[in-house]
Amino acid sequence: MSVIHHSISIADSGRTIVAIDDFSFVENEITFLFGESGIGKSLLCKALYGLLEESGLSVSVDGAAYDRHCADAWTRQVRRTSFFVFQEPSSHLNPLMRIGEQLAEGSLRGADNEREVLGRLWQDAAGGAAQRICEIYPKPYRPSGGEKQRILLAMAFKKLRLYHRDYAAGKPPTFYVFDEPTGSLDNAYRNLFLRLLFEAYAAGPFTALIITHDYSVISEMYRAHRSLLNRIHFKELVRANDGVVRLRDFSADEYLGWLRSQAPAVRGALAETEPVLTVEPSFGAFGRKLSIYGDAERRRPAPLAVRRGEIAYVKAPSGMGKTTLAKLVMGLYPADSLSMTLCGMRITHASSRSLWPREIWGKKAGMVFQHADEALDLEATVAETFTGLPLKQRFNDAAIVRLLGELFDAGEGERLLKRRVKYLSGGQKQRLNLLRSLVLDTELLILDEPLNALDFESIKRVLAMLEMKRRGGTALLMISHNEEIFDTIVDSAGVYYLGEENGNDQG
Amino acid sequence: MSALRCEDVRWAGLWFGVTAALGVWDLLFLNRPAFKRVSIGFVNTFAIAFMTAVCTLVLGWAAAVGLHGLESKGRRVRYILITFAINLARSVPQIVGILFGYIAVASFRESGAWGAGVLMFPLLALCVAVFVFPEMTDLIRERIAHFSASDFYNAMRVCGVRERRIVNLHILWRNSRIHIFNKLISVFGMAVFLLCSVDFIISVGLSSDVNEVSLPVTLGGLLATIDSKQDILAIGYTVTHPQYFPRLFFQHLQGVTVAFLIVFTLLCVHRVSTGFARRHRL
Repeated sequence: MSVIHHSISIADSGRTIVAIDDFSFVENEITFLFGESGIGKSLLCKALYGLLEESGLSVSVDGAAYDRHCADAWTRQVRRTSFFVFQEPSSHLNPLMRIGEQLAEGSLRGADNEREVLGRLWQDAAGGAAQRICEIYPKPYRPSGGEKQRILLAMAFKKLRLYHRDYAAGKPPTFYVFDEPTGSLDNAYRNLFLRLLFEAYAAGPFTALIITHDYSVISEMYRAHRSLLNRIHFKELVRANDGVVRLRDFSADEYLGWLRSQAPAVRGALAETEPVLTVEPSFGAFGRKLSIYGDAERRRPAPLAVRRGEIAYVKAPSGMGKTTLAKLVMGLYPADSLSMTLCGMRITHASSRSLWPREIWGKKAGMVFQHADEALDLEATVAETFTGLPLKQRFNDAAIVRLLGELFDAGEGERLLKRRVKYLSGGQKQRLNLLRSLVLDTELLILDEPLNALDFESIKRVLAMLEMKRRGGTALLMISHNEEIFDTIVDSAGVYYLGEENGNDQG
Repeated sequence: MSALRCEDVRWAGLWFGVTAALGVWDLLFLNRPAFKRVSIGFVNTFAIAFMTAVCTLVLGWAAAVGLHGLESKGRRVRYILITFAINLARSVPQIVGILFGYIAVASFRESGAWGAGVLMFPLLALCVAVFVFPEMTDLIRERIAHFSASDFYNAMRVCGVRERRIVNLHILWRNSRIHIFNKLISVFGMAVFLLCSVDFIISVGLSSDVNEVSLPVTLGGLLATIDSKQDILAIGYTVTHPQYFPRLFFQHLQGVTVAFLIVFTLLCVHRVSTGFARRHRL
């Protein structure tokens, strides 16, 4: 077992963006790399792969100038034998070339497993669906985010086939990087990707680094790929101080043990006669008719109801309309049809739009948006993020520091107080995004992907804070892809499923 | 020293340096009455142009925020009326509009109303701003529209932050002030150009109602005086008689100074604006 060690430093105008003394991974084995968003996982991998453009950046790898690293035999060899699946599939695909052409571009042309890979990734043995995708030019809205991601994965699997074929005798070094390869995929497709990856690994080992925020892959590894656990590593990138990070072993037991210790909040603990929110099962928006179901098979339409001190969890595949439902409840989108009761107020699609700012926003209900980067004023400081909120008491710096202490390390709150939000990491922004809504004294709180971009430590803190909020009597409505965690902490009676009204969704 | 690497700072510095050097030269070689006239014209032009930028900002900001408020509250009639009024101001050629404005200002002054003398500068600035502010309104509305379509705006609203605060503080002050300031630099240049053009037109006698007696002296008005005209003609004379060129800087200083100040200022404002936009990647 040979371990590859690298020290990497990336700075911009003298300010360290990310630096690590020992970025190490085991050759010919698979490493899952966790860590909060924005800590530098992708940047370090790109630097190592030789993909960074130096303009404006000062990059050094193993103490040497970056151009020397790029010209190094290992880097050149890796770029010939390996593949980098980028985090954002839309920006990886060329909009001026058909997807089929891109799948056969450059060295990928020589791989003979395209039909097989596409057939499996689309779970379509006949290959019709995948073939139709190959004929189109990538556009922002078509194919879907999940399909684009599968196209990139197909490219990586083609490259792996080439590697196994061309280097059957002597194995040159490899460095396959999968940057958030399942960010747009539901659990079924994520598991399919893992299965394909391990099948390829069984054909011949290679080095792979999988960057992810999805800690539930650990459970999946223990559930379906136990035999490979001795070839798998879980690592986490953690912050040492400003810009400097270190890699630590992440114990699978840490996550699995914590998960086992979680118990669902019992519904009805603070039961009252009237729920805080009730949404009738059938509703429509943007010409689509959707329905809320009480069962995973989507046969039994049920009104979504959440009382004080309860959690309701809405599940659906990507793009089905979970966020749309949340925004309809919050009056941010016009509904074609909607009937709900919120804090005793009967609201329909015909209700006046002025009702929400007058009666609901920040007073009776609040919402945490999915992408902290887009939901926060990046030019404001951390302290300024809390100004203007309808709070009962004046919120001074000391109170803000105390609040930050709930989700940030000791002393971190004071240090960040005057820092502009744009200079925070993705994980820090997400925690700030959550705190801004959690500080409100509302009866209902809607959380859209609250665990986005967070490391495990932060996930635990956020869930503890949500639990405190729930115990305090707030009704919580959750929307999340992180099914494993929310299936554990939410009572099954509080789980709702979203689907097309006619039941034709392809989830 | 690092500031000098920025194109906008460099050009602003150049403008100050060259203008100061010109002032010293004029002090030494321009006769006293002419020096006084040029100095007053210079100060008046820049004071009115500065006030124009301020008025444009106030009018543009108020109109854009007002329209956004009316739009979000669904008050269609008032929204259409204000939009119509703004488009009406936009449709009038700026120089024509300002000329009419000047007539109104001059008659106000001649009426001898209390405060007419004090109010001349802001009134003239307002005349120019009325025909320039639609551009500022467009920019501010564009910024509001851009952020209103993003989660940023809605995420704050659902937290109970007041709409007025989100628009004025978060969208316009924190996230758009660079864009707005850049527009103000252009407005300042535009105001200098319009003031000089209109004052020149007035001063050559196209209007009997408005004249340099009833309005403050500006660089445009000075350029139209007979002395300046002769100085400008002298510049042309040097094309065929190059040996005459050095005498421009001693015998024809008033016209040359005024013409140079106008052209050099407009060039510098243009370069400052371009450099500022480039530095802030607008």
